[in-house]
Amino acid sequence: MTNSLLFGISTFVYFFAMVLYISYLAFRSDGLGKAATLSLVGGVVVETAAIGMRWYESYQMGIGRAPLTNMYESLAFFAWTIALIYLVLERKFKIRTVGAFVVPFPFIIMAYASLNPNDIQPLVPALQSNWLISHVVTCFVGYAAFAVSFGVSILYLFKARSEKLSPKSPGSFWGFLPSAAALDEIGYKTIAIGFPLLTIGIVTGAFWANVAWGTYWSWDPKETWSLIVWFIYAAYLHARITRGWRGKRAAILSIVGFSATIFCYLGVNLILSGLHSYGG
Amino acid sequence: MSADEPVKTTKTDWTTKVWDFLTSLKLVVFLLLILSALSIAGTIIQQNKPLQEYYRFYQPGTVALFNKLGLFDMYHSWWFLACLALLAMSITVCTMDRYRGIMAGLRKRNLILDEDLGNSLQDLTTIKYALPLDTVEKKMLELVGKGFSGKPVATTAEDSGRHYFFEKGKYSRLAFFLTHLSILIIFLGALVGSFFGYKGYVNIFEGEMISQLETRAGKIKNLNFQVKCNTFNAEFYPSGAPMDYRSDLSILQNGKEIIRKTIRVNDPLTFEGITFYQSSYGGQPDEVAIDVVNRDGSLKGTVTAPFGQKVDIPGVADKVAIADYQEHHHLPDGSEGGRALDVHVYPEKGEETEVWLLMDNPDYDKRRGGDYYLRVKDLKLKKYTGLQVNKDPGEILVWFGSVMLIAGIMIAFFMSHKKLWVSLRTDRKGRSELTIGGTANKNRDAFAREMEPMIQSLKEVS
Ligand code: HEM
Repeated sequence: MTNSLLFGISTFVYFFAMVLYISYLAFRSDGLGKAATLSLVGGVVVETAAIGMRWYESYQMGIGRAPLTNMYESLAFFAWTIALIYLVLERKFKIRTVGAFVVPFPFIIMAYASLNPNDIQPLVPALQSNWLISHVVTCFVGYAAFAVSFGVSILYLFKARSEKLSPKSPGSFWGFLPSAAALDEIGYKTIAIGFPLLTIGIVTGAFWANVAWGTYWSWDPKETWSLIVWFIYAAYLHARITRGWRGKRAAILSIVGFSATIFCYLGVNLILSGLHSYGG
Repeated sequence: MSADEPVKTTKTDWTTKVWDFLTSLKLVVFLLLILSALSIAGTIIQQNKPLQEYYRFYQPGTVALFNKLGLFDMYHSWWFLACLALLAMSITVCTMDRYRGIMAGLRKRNLILDEDLGNSLQDLTTIKYALPLDTVEKKMLELVGKGFSGKPVATTAEDSGRHYFFEKGKYSRLAFFLTHLSILIIFLGALVGSFFGYKGYVNIFEGEMISQLETRAGKIKNLNFQVKCNTFNAEFYPSGAPMDYRSDLSILQNGKEIIRKTIRVNDPLTFEGITFYQSSYGGQPDEVAIDVVNRDGSLKGTVTAPFGQKVDIPGVADKVAIADYQEHHHLPDGSEGGRALDVHVYPEKGEETEVWLLMDNPDYDKRRGGDYYLRVKDLKLKKYTGLQVNKDPGEILVWFGSVMLIAGIMIAFFMSHKKLWVSLRTDRKGRSELTIGGTANKNRDAFAREMEPMIQSLKEVS
């Protein structure tokens, strides 16, 4: 199938982009940085084609459905959204150095996806719904924003330590990174983007569950974990907006929040059981 | 704000303490994190399983303890609900606490850019022009009006300066009410649903109708209409995976058909606030013809048995009755036996025996021994559709609250109340002088960036 080939190529390109972003951080050469961004753009373009192709091929098979319905497809989509959201934010906030902490995700996720069966299966009745797309897309774009905040927060922790240890060293490796204050602010802004999306994702999911099963909330492990993630980021936002939690404590909450996100997405499927047998 | 607030002397000490406790952001962060931790426990310990199942995982002592603590149905336990109630109370009190401040923020104060105000603004720009004041004023209104489309408040002060106050996004201050009250509305919706609604389940045979159903709580609900299942169909993909379940339903009242609709998974039918969802299906043997076969393979006779009735087996003194039918029968060794009919054989003397006859393995019953065995000759199934039934008058509140919540969060994060002051005066040398400064209640950096091009173009006025 053409889509598998394209997904394979995009995995390879993401790997290449990851290596370039890490080298950029290590060697601080502008050329490397540009190449890193370009190759990530390349990876996104190839993967966009792969997703489109898979969609098209499903129609050719007479199944015709959005490619968002099993573990393989959701992982691929997750990788794609992280790469895309990261690129948008890199442009907006000028944070190319963060790439070394975020771009490994698309590659690792695609590599992990390749371990899952990737044949195009038709949809069981419960998944035949227009809510599927809005639910999955909003959740995943939200998750991707949290992933970027996670990368930024890790970088913040390193940077804040170095600023404390040697406050004035603009020419050094650490001086090359954005200031701790800027990282802190970006870490917050990305969460401010992810939180409304996660909220929409949870609400559309509840609405869909109500249409399909007649219950908008049944405390199934996936639902519960998405609520946990939501609580953690709500706590983050309150602590930040009203108690002025910034810097280290905010960064740690952001890291905890993304760990919970990953568990919500993968851990629940692998370890706990529930209604969501697929990766949405 | 605090200056014009009267000192609250009427409050006794402890109400102040409770008030402070409920409005404390520490409590909110703590509650949100504690609710997360409790919910994690609820996903690790499986919820609402039959008690026997827990004994497979835990020691009997542990099961007893967990059961007493409510850990097996923890989302309905008093302590989980108490946390939610505390959250609701905290939100209520917080909203009351903030009400005055937020409303005060909506009022127009400080219409004039005087020295005090100027000092409190982050950056203030003064531009001098060699143009008449009227020209500058006209240009200014045009340029600033692009960003602040509303009509400014114009004031002429004693010093004959002209002062303008622009603002926008004032009502974004109300986002606080939207986000927080929405959560109370969602809670309220859930409460209304659990007090005034019910969930139930009902099977309807093709061609038959029901007018009552059993709720999950085990109560019988009478409907003031009938639901009829005209047909049920299940379709499968070549791989055997389900493709579509469809029930053609009619709602009847006083014998008249009111609605007819084919429901599917994801496309239920609602009538008078009660919704019917496609949930499962099955079949019950209606009329069955069973061959009675001698061990040598020759036919002894055929019995036709309606479901559940004892029928004589020709040529022997035994009787037989159809008891059950399964689409996927599991054989004693655990393997899949496919479609199977459960019959009970009653010998003249002694105990009845339960016998499974496999449709796809007709001679399966031969292994039972005896001088004859049974084989299904013909089976007519009466299909039924299984419907989940839900009445939830609180649902609408939940959706209303959800939309409010999303709107509130969006407004809170992406909008702010922006204010801009401009004053114009003629300085001692007769030049026109414009002073401009602004502020926003959130995200001041973004506001400053937004102002830059406006100030630049003001500077370029000539
Ligand atoms: C799950 C429950 C809650 C959610 C989802 C939530 C959501 C939010 C959101 C989205 C904001 C930002 C809104 C804004 O800046 O105007 C916010 C701010 C705030 N929340 Fe909550 N909240 C919750 C519970 C609470 C509770 C219980 C309290 C009261 C103790 C509270 C007090 C505040 C305060 C004081 C602000 C700051 C408003 C400001 O200064 O701009 N929140 N909340």
